[in-house]
Amino acid sequence: MNQYDVIIIGGGITGVGTARDCALRGLKVLLLARGDLTAGATGRNHGLLHSGARYAVTDRDSAAECIRENKILRRIAAHCVEPTGGLFITLPEDDLSYQDNFIKCCIDAGIKAEAIDPKEALKMEPSVNPALIGAVKVPDASVDPFRLATANALDAKLHGAVILTYHEVVSFIKDKNWIVGVQARDTRTGKTEKYYAPLTVNAAGIWGQNIAGMAGCQIKMLPAKGSLLIFGHRVNNMVINRCRKPANADILVPGDVVCVIGTTSDKVPMEECDDIRVTGDEVQLLLKEGCLLSPSLAHTRILRAYAGVRPLVASDDDPTGRKTSRGIVLLDHDRRDGIPGFISITGGKLTSYRLMGEMATDLVCDKLGRRSRCRTAELPLPGSEKELFDSAKGLRIAEKAAIGRQGTMVSKMDFSHKSEILCECEHVTRAEIAYAAKYLDVHNMMDLRRRTRVGMGTCQGSFCMKKVAAALARELGCPERTEEFIREYIEERWKGMAPVCWGESLCEAEYMRKLYADKKE
Amino acid sequence: MWPRRLSGGDAMQEKNISKDNFEQCLKCNLCATVCPMMAANPHYPGPKQAGPDGERYRLKDPKFFDLTLKYCLNCKRCEVACPSGVKVGDIIQKARLAYARQHNPLRDFTLASTDLVGSIAVPFSTIVNPVMASPAVKTLMDSVLSVDKHRSFPKYARNCFTTWMKREAASQQEKFTRFVTYFHGCYVNYNFPSLGQDLVTVMNACNYGVHIPDKERCCGVAMISNGFSAKARRNAMTNLKAFRKTDETILTTSSTCTFTMRDEYENVLGIDTSDVRDRILLATKWLYDKIERGEISLAFKSGYHKKITYHTACHMNKMGWAIYSTELLRMIPGVELTVPGQKCCGIAGTFGFKKENYTYSQKIGQELFDTLKALEPEVVACDCETCKWQIEMSTGLTVMNPISILAEAIDVEATRKLNSR
Amino acid sequence: MKFDVIIIGGGLAGCTAGVALQEAGLRCAIVAEGLSLHECPREKFIELGGTIFPGDRVTGGHIVGRKVKWVETRNLDGTLLEADNFILATGKFFSRGLISNMNEIYEPVFGCDVKYDKNPAKWVSQSFNDSQPFEKFGVITDAVGQVSIQGNTVENLYAAGEILCGERDIVSSALDVAAQIVGR
Repeated sequence: MNQYDVIIIGGGITGVGTARDCALRGLKVLLLARGDLTAGATGRNHGLLHSGARYAVTDRDSAAECIRENKILRRIAAHCVEPTGGLFITLPEDDLSYQDNFIKCCIDAGIKAEAIDPKEALKMEPSVNPALIGAVKVPDASVDPFRLATANALDAKLHGAVILTYHEVVSFIKDKNWIVGVQARDTRTGKTEKYYAPLTVNAAGIWGQNIAGMAGCQIKMLPAKGSLLIFGHRVNNMVINRCRKPANADILVPGDVVCVIGTTSDKVPMEECDDIRVTGDEVQLLLKEGCLLSPSLAHTRILRAYAGVRPLVASDDDPTGRKTSRGIVLLDHDRRDGIPGFISITGGKLTSYRLMGEMATDLVCDKLGRRSRCRTAELPLPGSEKELFDSAKGLRIAEKAAIGRQGTMVSKMDFSHKSEILCECEHVTRAEIAYAAKYLDVHNMMDLRRRTRVGMGTCQGSFCMKKVAAALARELGCPERTEEFIREYIEERWKGMAPVCWGESLCEAEYMRKLYADKKE
Repeated sequence: MWPRRLSGGDAMQEKNISKDNFEQCLKCNLCATVCPMMAANPHYPGPKQAGPDGERYRLKDPKFFDLTLKYCLNCKRCEVACPSGVKVGDIIQKARLAYARQHNPLRDFTLASTDLVGSIAVPFSTIVNPVMASPAVKTLMDSVLSVDKHRSFPKYARNCFTTWMKREAASQQEKFTRFVTYFHGCYVNYNFPSLGQDLVTVMNACNYGVHIPDKERCCGVAMISNGFSAKARRNAMTNLKAFRKTDETILTTSSTCTFTMRDEYENVLGIDTSDVRDRILLATKWLYDKIERGEISLAFKSGYHKKITYHTACHMNKMGWAIYSTELLRMIPGVELTVPGQKCCGIAGTFGFKKENYTYSQKIGQELFDTLKALEPEVVACDCETCKWQIEMSTGLTVMNPISILAEAIDVEATRKLNSR
Repeated sequence: MKFDVIIIGGGLAGCTAGVALQEAGLRCAIVAEGLSLHECPREKFIELGGTIFPGDRVTGGHIVGRKVKWVETRNLDGTLLEADNFILATGKFFSRGLISNMNEIYEPVFGCDVKYDKNPAKWVSQSFNDSQPFEKFGVITDAVGQVSIQGNTVENLYAAGEILCGERDIVSSALDVAAQIVGR
């Protein structure tokens, strides 16, 4: 019988964060994700662990929340976070007087912000625009959202949670007006199944609007498309922001071996959220603004462009939807809409995911009459129990890269037998692919990419796609699917390459076509 | 006017630039198909992985440096093979200089310090040579210094080339009105002065006098490959200072010295050589260009005959200058020349002397050794001295520098007459 | 250094033309920057007495009237490569026979006239397996295979292989150009 204490809908960071918290508190958890984990906004942002400085002037509460969570994540998710530090720079065209108030607001919110000499800033981060006239150092960091979500999901599973990806909720099961379960369709097999729980949590991000609608209540989401560009290597080693009122394309974040400039912000209709593409104008804008942060972006190779949709929620007191909240929104639909057994957690941001999970779980426990303390701020995520990288000296680069991605979980990888490097740009071995296939809910190449960086490097999979697909198909016990894996994956890679297809990307595109295009008869 | 359009400006994304073009790598792996080390040694990750792939990670954190980069021979065949202009070999060399620690500091220092060891050994060459050749000393060096016992150190000369030059030749040079400066290198100076003497013979016959640099140090190639970058840089600065004191063309008879001074100084050590680089030339290239422009003519002895196979050293291949040496040799009537496809001999300077590398070194060279033996030449012609040691040791064939062959083949008097007009 | 034909590009087109020309008794040199993804008859070209400049790139040259007189390369440093005829066979984007940036596409060696869509948004199709417009971009040649620079035909400069616009077979375009040169 598919009976659980709580069903969580949504495989983004909020969903897995809530699942982990519920599981740690002893609940029997089922998580249903429509696609793969992190396939929505979680995997389509900057990968910035905010210090809160960006919100300090406009939203003190969010800022204070960010710095608290920032400090916690550095501890519990050490293998996902890189403590790069961040700079807020003032350029000649900006108003330098903004800086003083900015620093004051940061300090008010508990963020250690420190004005530094522009020359000093240039020394700390040589890629920064040398024209800068002011700089403030803040504890921004870079976080890998794929890793963070994966580790949360893994820990939830280690504590008994069941995670079903590619399971789309098609309807709610109601007893009178109580929600007592959901019916979900396995999108890979088409089979539907019923799952029961006294409580269902809607953590579906932008798609939470549809879920709520299905449950019979209304949440007004305001989808805002944000486009970003990925460059081929790290230009900067610190997060670089503009010290002014937040605007388009004013954050450059180093993430693993690349760096990312973003974002744009444009309202898009709900219907377009499932397939959004980056436009040429957006690319131009991102480049133009990016070069103001770091001029070397003007001649750095762009690997791809991508876009996500921010789950902005219209404030409950404003049905027109004009006023949005960037804060965390927790809705008890029993009290709000008279639908017992259903709650929604939405809004917020990547940095505050843990707190969102805690708030949702507190409400869940309250509803279920359980008393249990939240421990997600104390217990390290699987992989982050201890620092291995510093002692990794004698190892091969691929093993070091695996430690960087999976932390202590490398102990589950069989490097002695599967040491062969399959994805060469990102140094991913057969051992890491086998590990991901076994433990990390991988069903296809896109899933594997999110867990291991396979194909995220310079060649976007051109060189190693065949080898990786064959290895994955073998590990999953379906060697006959190799070709299908490759086809799906190429289309996905092409989507990101197409908007930036000039220079080396066009060379790479030609190479990819030579290797994989369907031969005309 | 050359009509080619290169916008050349600094417009957005007009041209992407990255250090040594590492990001221009399209991951085609053509470099891996020519890497001699990769074929011989499963521990070496290959040029693409050690170079551009590794560089992305090293940029994130230097801890990603991989010790197996020590296996790179610095043959630069990867760069010759690359269709995208990626300086694969330079990336690897620079990473080694930046991050590697010496595995065997005493041995590496001894091998790298060609000047120091040479200047000590030459005065005692009558003692040093037999001692170095004795089996007991070889075994001792093998176990104490990890210099492979199969290796014979090149014999030291009785007198340095520079000593000969000062005593025997310098005064006669002043009879000429045109001059070249000869960067002789350590090998000519300490081990094989006769090559230097041959160059002086050829140049004098062409009506050029020969000067030697005011102050010359080892070009530094062995220091670079053994990770002594500060020492290499010091040597480079000394040499460049000497070159800057003169307007004369700097000629060499060693492809590796030439390559190191023209390319590695700038690309690997980061020294600006733009004011002198074009003046540093291999003697065969200089001669060929002069002959083609009709500025020099050679007259050859009648009845000279030799069956020669030219071996293209890796750095010759990288510079693209083998054609000058082979075309010069083809000018000699009576020379029967074969030029087999370019293969690495495996020695890579001091690399092959190290005990841990001996097997790889010989494995890499095997194909070349077999080819050369099958061709049965009277001599192998080669512009690189370390290839010479390796080929002579591994095949028993005699290896000569093309300049020495020229010196042997030209009619000195007749050539002098042709060029004295 | 003087040759009958200098071929720029050592891939399938360059080597195929080189072999055909050597066989016809002409002295050829190939300036080949890097290796090619295709199987090429490079060895055969060398066996036939052809000269290869490996790892080298043409950096400049001299055009008088409507003829290329000579080219110079990065490595040869002062030595000029003269020939009666020249063949441009540097391939498309992968081998840098064509260079693109976010605004334009050009041929970097001679600045030959190139056919391409002026709207960069139309260079690639949305789906990988759709026909890709960029694969048909390339250098424009006349009926005998000669290229033009700013509309003027260069009488001894031919193009062959993937660098050509449209959909031409690599080997047959190389053989056509070789036949043209031999026939002259």
